[in-house]
Amino acid sequence: MTLATAARLRFTVNGRPAEVAGPGGRRLLDLLRLELGLTGTKEGCGEGECGACSVLLDGELVASCLVPVAQVQGRAVLTVEGLAREGRLDPLQVAFLETGASQCGFCTPAMLLAGRAFLASGAEPTEDAIREAIAGTLCRCTGYTRIVEGIRLAATDPPGAAIPAPALAPLAEAGGSPAALPSGAPEVVSPGSLADALAVLAAEHPRPIAGGTDLMVGLASRAATAAWPLLDLGDLDELRGIRLEPGRAAQFGALVLGALTTYAELRRSALVAEHLPVLAEMAASVGAVQVQNRGTLGGNIVTASPAGDSLPLLLATDAEILVESLRGRRSVPAAAFWPAYRQTALASDELVLAVRVPLPVGRHVRFRKVGTRQAQAIAKASVALAWREEGGTWRDVRVALGSLAPTPVRALATEAVLEGQRPTAALADRAAAAVAAEISPIDDVRSTAVYRRSVTARVLRRLILDAVPGRKAG
Amino acid sequence: MAPRRGDSRADSRADLAATVGRPPAASAGTVVGRSLPRREGPAKLTGAARYTDDLIVPGAWFGFTLRSTEAHARLLGLELDPAFDWSRVVVVTAAEIPGENVVHLMADDQPALVADVIRHVAEPVALVAAADPATARAARDAIRLRTEPLPAILDPLASERAFARYEIGRGDVEAGLAAADLVVEGTYRVGYQEQLYLEPQAMIAVPGEDRGVTVHGSLQCPYYVHAALARALGLAGEQVVVIQEETGGGFGGKEEYPSMLAIHASLLALRAGRPVRIVYDRHEDVAATTKRHPAVVTHRTGVTRDGRLVAQDVDVVMDAGAYATLSPVVLSRGAIHAAGPYACPNVRIRARTMATNTPPNGAFRGFGAPQTEFAAETQVNRVAEALGVSPLELRRRWAYRPGDVTPTGQVLRESVGAGVVLERVAEAADYEPVRARTAEARMARATRPAGARTDRLDGRTAHGIGLALAWHGAGFTGAGERFLASVAGVERSADGQVLVYTDSTEIGQGARTVLSQLVAEALGVPAEAVEVAPGDTSVVPNSGPTVASRTTMVVGGLLIRAAERLRADVEARTGAPFATSYRTDAAQAGRVRFDEQFEGYPGIVWDDATHRGDAYPAYSWAAAVAEVDVDLDTGEVRVGSVVAADEIGRVVNPVLAAGQVEGGTLQAVGYATIEELQARDGRYLNDRLATYLVPTAVDAPRIEAILLEEPFAGAPHRAKGLGELPMDVGAPAVIDAIHDATGAWIAELPATPERVLAALEAREGRR
Repeated sequence: MTLATAARLRFTVNGRPAEVAGPGGRRLLDLLRLELGLTGTKEGCGEGECGACSVLLDGELVASCLVPVAQVQGRAVLTVEGLAREGRLDPLQVAFLETGASQCGFCTPAMLLAGRAFLASGAEPTEDAIREAIAGTLCRCTGYTRIVEGIRLAATDPPGAAIPAPALAPLAEAGGSPAALPSGAPEVVSPGSLADALAVLAAEHPRPIAGGTDLMVGLASRAATAAWPLLDLGDLDELRGIRLEPGRAAQFGALVLGALTTYAELRRSALVAEHLPVLAEMAASVGAVQVQNRGTLGGNIVTASPAGDSLPLLLATDAEILVESLRGRRSVPAAAFWPAYRQTALASDELVLAVRVPLPVGRHVRFRKVGTRQAQAIAKASVALAWREEGGTWRDVRVALGSLAPTPVRALATEAVLEGQRPTAALADRAAAAVAAEISPIDDVRSTAVYRRSVTARVLRRLILDAVPGRKAG
Repeated sequence: MAPRRGDSRADSRADLAATVGRPPAASAGTVVGRSLPRREGPAKLTGAARYTDDLIVPGAWFGFTLRSTEAHARLLGLELDPAFDWSRVVVVTAAEIPGENVVHLMADDQPALVADVIRHVAEPVALVAAADPATARAARDAIRLRTEPLPAILDPLASERAFARYEIGRGDVEAGLAAADLVVEGTYRVGYQEQLYLEPQAMIAVPGEDRGVTVHGSLQCPYYVHAALARALGLAGEQVVVIQEETGGGFGGKEEYPSMLAIHASLLALRAGRPVRIVYDRHEDVAATTKRHPAVVTHRTGVTRDGRLVAQDVDVVMDAGAYATLSPVVLSRGAIHAAGPYACPNVRIRARTMATNTPPNGAFRGFGAPQTEFAAETQVNRVAEALGVSPLELRRRWAYRPGDVTPTGQVLRESVGAGVVLERVAEAADYEPVRARTAEARMARATRPAGARTDRLDGRTAHGIGLALAWHGAGFTGAGERFLASVAGVERSADGQVLVYTDSTEIGQGARTVLSQLVAEALGVPAEAVEVAPGDTSVVPNSGPTVASRTTMVVGGLLIRAAERLRADVEARTGAPFATSYRTDAAQAGRVRFDEQFEGYPGIVWDDATHRGDAYPAYSWAAAVAEVDVDLDTGEVRVGSVVAADEIGRVVNPVLAAGQVEGGTLQAVGYATIEELQARDGRYLNDRLATYLVPTAVDAPRIEAILLEEPFAGAPHRAKGLGELPMDVGAPAVIDAIHDATGAWIAELPATPERVLAALEAREGRR
């Protein structure tokens, strides 16, 4: 297995087979628009923020600007051009027309596909559920009201009107592509087994890519610097799955989460819901549908952003990161995994396999992310709090913080204030004061040091207050 | 209250149309007043619609812009890296501009490319194009600017250079204030706002055989671009063709800036002898293009003990940025609306817009009014608090009625909807009962026993309700429409089609649909029988720019008169109704076209020199009630619902009109809460979508739009303007609701969690 140019990619677009060659690291968005002439898919930011480029990949809503084409191999892509059938608008399109859900039309293709994914999910078409389904796709014209109505109408009373669809240029009208292909897209190697992947990694040090939600951001405008080869982890089944490791004698059980576990999978997992529901809560706070469908736990760990949403929880739960190389397998405690800003304890030949989260009896975990927006938000501050309840007092208290230091950190002095105490309102105040004194947040473009300090203290205080026995949640 | 609205809107398809408060006049025909679907809807819903970057232009090169990185500097020269292979690219600098180096608009002070002095960060200095984007980018990066720094003025309050100053007034303000029982003072600040149309700026220039050029672009105002191109390229008007392609939103952001892109793309195309496309990425679009003007507005309001309004003294300072662009007229509109829609005998409004070394600010939905009306409405709400009167009750007393006189001396003769929007919004939002409940909750929170520190903010969230009222003049300010002298026409073609000729653009607001409805109604034919000619300056006349809430009222009025003449002409010949005879008449009479030119509304008089007279032919009116939940731990504000009542004269298409209200309301909510563009040293810090935040679907409130009609007799179809109105009223309603929830006034937009939490902590400290 080497880094030679990948073979031709085969996949389907709107039900029709397609086959292309070329670097596997170019964006699906460019493949659709520039090579296949499917310009209904729009580019609004190239950073996975606006959602205008969303398409369905095997039925899942994804931002096509963040998908390397290597990961489309053997899969099915649906774009807006594939919605109308037999020359007629489909019921969702008719519903959008009737409700006035499209104004300038630039977000409309993505909104329709978000709507299609929602309808296919079979979820109850409540207003809140529909809003969540489209939260990763920005609209600046409608205020969203009529888009929500359009999707609800299609779910509850699909319009039957036969409205002719305008003729579309045939697939791959090729020849005069609307814009030249970005040059310098990275090559991608897609090993089929962990052993192959580790061998390539050790020999050639390509950059591993999972969901691409960090790595692909802004790829088009920094083509020159992004030219290093990528190691696609997508086919490594060894990195998938969520399982329960039962407790034995003196040892606690644990949840073992494969590195390729997506946020969407965390939200759907029955094991997570039963044993560590706060993980699903965290996953729901990440980006929006498109990022949750693609972003992975392993990617979050390796990107090592101080704002990485899962990291404070991994610190607070004493998680271990399981890593492997040709040299062998080892386990690194989360507390030792992020030594400095955007750095990890990984050697250059190591891959993250999984995360092992121990499940001590009587442990409680709370999490709050502060990000200004309800979706598509990057944390200004986040707080994870864990403790083990023992006869009314708190043991093994962990307070872990995100976006408040160059790395995700534990607030050890604050933990000491809480350790061995009974939770009371006064204790909550003392812990709040302690954490405010302990952290040294910075001013940056997302927030101010003053706010971060204050909000961290107040959120921690609230998390503790909510655990005070007999206290009614406000 | 939310469930009630939910129930009423949930199921019936008929309910999806907005509520129209008053049935259309009995004389209404069958086309106007109906929610016909958007004309280009099927194309937008299938991906068939072609936006500029979707166009296939064989052989086109890719253009990029080299921009300044300093706020103020002398440009000494450009150094081209000798290691780069320059034979593969073309480079254009100011020296290569064939015409005048100016982006023609009002003051003609803005160069297309810097010649000698850099006046703001991100100012265009040189252009490059190549056959592929990577080469062009590399070429741009291989040019170094040699500069000598100059002192920069970044604070409009420290600037001594004004692009415009106005003083508007009536009565004697000082005497009025002296006689008042109570004078309330307030200073309000608003920041930048980015239009954030979803489609970034895009333009393709194609050189013609006659040394001329054709541009295809994403734009609002084809003839603005046309005039700017002719001037900068030194071409005759007929050598320039501007074609508007499907446009993914504008909101004012594609009013003046596309002229810059068109000049740039054309310079490169003429130089390269081949088509050139310039498509900004989001980062460049936010960093370089115009924003809503930041402003500082100061109020002194005099009232009597019994709540009469006796004096308003208002001072407005706007930050224009480095060039005039549209700032003088943005300021004018802002100033005229600055006292709010309230009758007052003594008013003085002083306004100025100042030059700074920052990227120029420009048009954005509302055009100066959102800034001044936020201040005016927050001031009124604070006066209500000072008097201990309900904000609704105070507005009932003060709001304009027919016969009242505005600060410019305009007598409001008809179509004054302030009262009706207030009453309808208060009723639909259950305003007073909800306000009574939030007041009770606020009292309960405030009167917790002393010493119980941890209980002081026991509630996780606080709920509040807020009210605001706004007015918005439709069409260009003052004599602007007379100067424009817009032309629009209707044709019955030789093959029996009906065609509408106007350069009014469809940018998502529904112009194409609404204008064809108006013409269809005037001709007595179905709307589907009317086609709108493409927005191509070689085909359509100059109907003025697609701005200022003027398309339906002004251009629609011209088209109706043209259609009436066409109808009379055909019917005179055939002796039969137009609908049944126009196709057969085509065989004998051939092509028939009637153009109408704007000549002024009856009785409207304006003096530009003194800023006195009838500022607008008509005003539209809006009231909004917002409900918010403020997170008392984080300062985050969730706007749960907004009920908006908008009185816009005759409603041509209820669904499209409601869409304008809803979309404008959300932009106002974003303006009020999270849309903050930070700047340091004249540079925007958060010029990406990951850092400039706009509301997502889960941040957006439930919005209920109520459309009300007080017909405007000056227009043949009785319609007024709508597009900008909702932008004026949402932000002050949200700020009032935050106050209702927490007791804190946030006097600076946006009310970010940082500002709200600081205000909450200041109040906690005081107790």
